[in-house]
Amino acid sequence: MSLFLASVGFGLITSAVLAIASVGFTLQFAVTDVLNLAFAAVMTAGAFVAYWVNQAGVSVWIGLAAAMVACSVLSVLLNLAVYAPFQRRGTSPITLVIVSLGMALIIEFGIQAVVGGVNVSYSMGQGRTFRAGGLVLTTVQIVIIAISVAVMAAVHVLLRYSRLGKAMRATAANRTLARNCGIRASRVITITWAITGGLCGLAGAVFAIDIGSFGPTSDDLFLILILAAVFLGGPGDAYGAMIGALVIGLGTEVSAAYIQPDYKYVIAFVALLAMLALRPTGLLGARARG
Amino acid sequence: MFYLITLLIYGAVDVIACLGLSQQFGVAGVTNFGFIIFQAAGAYVAASLALPSDTANGGYQIYIGGLHLPFPMPLIGAALAGALLALPFTFLVGRRLRGDFAAIGLLVTAVLLNLLVTDYRPLFNGDAGVAQVPAPLQSGIFILSSTTYRWVFVAAVIVLAAGVYMFLRRITESPYGRTLRAMRDNDKVADSLGKNLVSLRTGVLVLGGAIAGLSGGVLVSFISVWSPAAWSYAETIVLFAAVIIGGAGNHRGAILGAILVPVGFEEVTRLITNSNPSLPPNLLPSLQWVAIGLLIVLFLWFRPQGVLPERKRLIAVPAPAAGPASEPPAGPAASGHDGQSLLTRGEVARARKGAPGAAGGDDILQAVGLSRDFGGVQAVSDVTFTVRRATLTGLIGPNGAGKSTLLALLAGTDRPSAGTILYNGQDITALPAFRRARMGLVRTFQLASEFKRLTVMENLLSAAPGNRGDSFRGAVAGRRYWRGDEAAAIARATDILRRFGLDKLANDYAGDLSGGQRRLVEIMRALMAEPDVLLLDEPMAGVHPELARRIGDTLVGLCREGLTILMVEHELAIMDEFCDPVIVMAQGSLLAQGTMAQLRERTEVVEAYLVG
Repeated sequence: MSLFLASVGFGLITSAVLAIASVGFTLQFAVTDVLNLAFAAVMTAGAFVAYWVNQAGVSVWIGLAAAMVACSVLSVLLNLAVYAPFQRRGTSPITLVIVSLGMALIIEFGIQAVVGGVNVSYSMGQGRTFRAGGLVLTTVQIVIIAISVAVMAAVHVLLRYSRLGKAMRATAANRTLARNCGIRASRVITITWAITGGLCGLAGAVFAIDIGSFGPTSDDLFLILILAAVFLGGPGDAYGAMIGALVIGLGTEVSAAYIQPDYKYVIAFVALLAMLALRPTGLLGARARG
Repeated sequence: MFYLITLLIYGAVDVIACLGLSQQFGVAGVTNFGFIIFQAAGAYVAASLALPSDTANGGYQIYIGGLHLPFPMPLIGAALAGALLALPFTFLVGRRLRGDFAAIGLLVTAVLLNLLVTDYRPLFNGDAGVAQVPAPLQSGIFILSSTTYRWVFVAAVIVLAAGVYMFLRRITESPYGRTLRAMRDNDKVADSLGKNLVSLRTGVLVLGGAIAGLSGGVLVSFISVWSPAAWSYAETIVLFAAVIIGGAGNHRGAILGAILVPVGFEEVTRLITNSNPSLPPNLLPSLQWVAIGLLIVLFLWFRPQGVLPERKRLIAVPAPAAGPASEPPAGPAASGHDGQSLLTRGEVARARKGAPGAAGGDDILQAVGLSRDFGGVQAVSDVTFTVRRATLTGLIGPNGAGKSTLLALLAGTDRPSAGTILYNGQDITALPAFRRARMGLVRTFQLASEFKRLTVMENLLSAAPGNRGDSFRGAVAGRRYWRGDEAAAIARATDILRRFGLDKLANDYAGDLSGGQRRLVEIMRALMAEPDVLLLDEPMAGVHPELARRIGDTLVGLCREGLTILMVEHELAIMDEFCDPVIVMAQGSLLAQGTMAQLRERTEVVEAYLVG
């Protein structure tokens, strides 16, 4: 029982990190139409920005904010310099995926060329340890979960109650129509890159905190989990991505407690392929994106 | 010397792999981000077949198999393994799933399979991989010095690569290859012309898998070791870079790319590393990946067709059959005037036409209670109507009335939420689009849907049913096997092109034509499919009025010859002139049906159309 609870603890933290990244990824795809495989590479950039800030003697929590800003800027630039020009030219979605894969290589290994192949970690305390039954969480882990819940709530408010959120949903549903209705689609898209880029940077830094020691290629496998969560929830569906993150996060960690930890990703893999085969529109079905 | 041999072998293996990928990605438009796992499967199976059983092999490595089979068996096994591994993935590339989603699925599979094989030792010795794989025929028949042996190996692999190239060229330049390229350019349209996408893509995955498996088998036979590090998902990206840079869709480009990218990069890196031992160990490999990323992005931007672009397939248009050449072109209006109908049937159509006349009576196409809702919005609701044989039936209605959706339901591009569709009295509601097309129910699309990177002639030929070369087996059988069918199709296409006055453009890329010309290509292509019923979605939209009239006259002529047409159109003048009867739709429902004159009498029709 305590094994189960302990694994649920791990699962909650993984879900929390995964949810931030997946919601960012899925919103990015919904509004901008780019299936951005460079997402994990940008996360890595965020993790290292936070590291450099942290190295300068500043708290890693300030580093989080720096990572968000840096990745926000990087994502906007990535769109303006690369994706948007390709899209204006009418490039097919699959070619754009290949372009994003190319950008992933450039960013990820560009970082590696700068920092070398050695893993680093933030200098920070883990805080007190809390126990409830078998559930063991440190202060830092609780803060991560709290951040994630706050982000989910903020995304919900943004999408449901703000003008910007409505414009984003409209652009996601039909860009041309949104433009004809007086929505400045290209501005909405740029803002979306800024917001989702911020989520991406946050996720990168929080993921680095969570795994403790990280390097330029640490996020490769995490991208697979993001994709699994996003496809489980239905690509472009923010609420689906939240549920997907919870399922994948808990599924991988709880299963790791009972089968060999090496195979924990099998759950994510099976979930993703099953969804692609049976319900390409996601768990919640083909409802309006948003 | 050994270095040169290694280089040549790696080069030839990369050439084989890139050819397989080029066939999938460049020719058929199947983006297989998991390509490397097929090579890996081939390598592991070849190793497992060639090695003696693991207990008899010192026991320091464990693996399944270990059959210790002689020379050709491991390589045959490798190709088979690649082909068989493709089968479970065919569901990903079926009709329903977007190409980019399928690609993601394959990428994820590649990453996780690598992880599994790394962690699960009993399969193929886990992370360490298998080693000491015996080279083919090294002991036994040939007793050669090791250098001579290696040179023979090099020669054999180069011959093999050449063989793969010849084989793929034979397939790509056949009618089957043309169908693959049509699917690449627009799969939905290919489906509507009677092409079975699932079976085509399955064939492409299996063939590419077999070639990848073979390349893996050859590689492991030479280097004698194989471990998960050799087939990380990133290796697929290198191969993609090679194919994109060389020229996707051109097999020579794939060969060039294979030599430039994987081989070239290894060499440059090796040279630099050797001359500067003081560099940080991670720097060069990192920069190498950055460079590959840059090459992909820059090539896709500046030269998306690659160094060696796909070449244009020119098809000579036969001279006008008989008749004095001085006679001016008759123009489409005079269709059938020289005694030859546009509907000249091939054998397939004739066989198809054998019975049905009686089965459906005069009502060739019937919709009964047809509905389609999109998440609460009733695009088509409870529509019932009949199209009579050999009529040109018009379908009008305001924007959003559900006309295009109705057409999609009839053609099988979309599935109804409720209702039945009868064709010649037969229930076809459950049949996919390509089956309906093969039965003679063919549609065109509202938006431009030409196969852009096929010539006008190829666009037409791609729709010709019953070409013997339009199957994998037919393509393998070679040109002599399908030459006759191809010549007949070319003759028919030429005839249609002349009547629509587009024969001068036969060898232009369809994507380069004007909007009006593209509409013509689409109509001509639909006619090539030998339809009994033609569903046209605004065929005259954006066409010069003069030309629209000529198209209309041609269509009327075709109906006199027995073709049935259901045509969506906005232009009331066209409806007036050519269509009888006319069906009016508004807000998803059928509003009225009759001649235009009758309809004008009815106020609700006028209101729906003007106010709607």
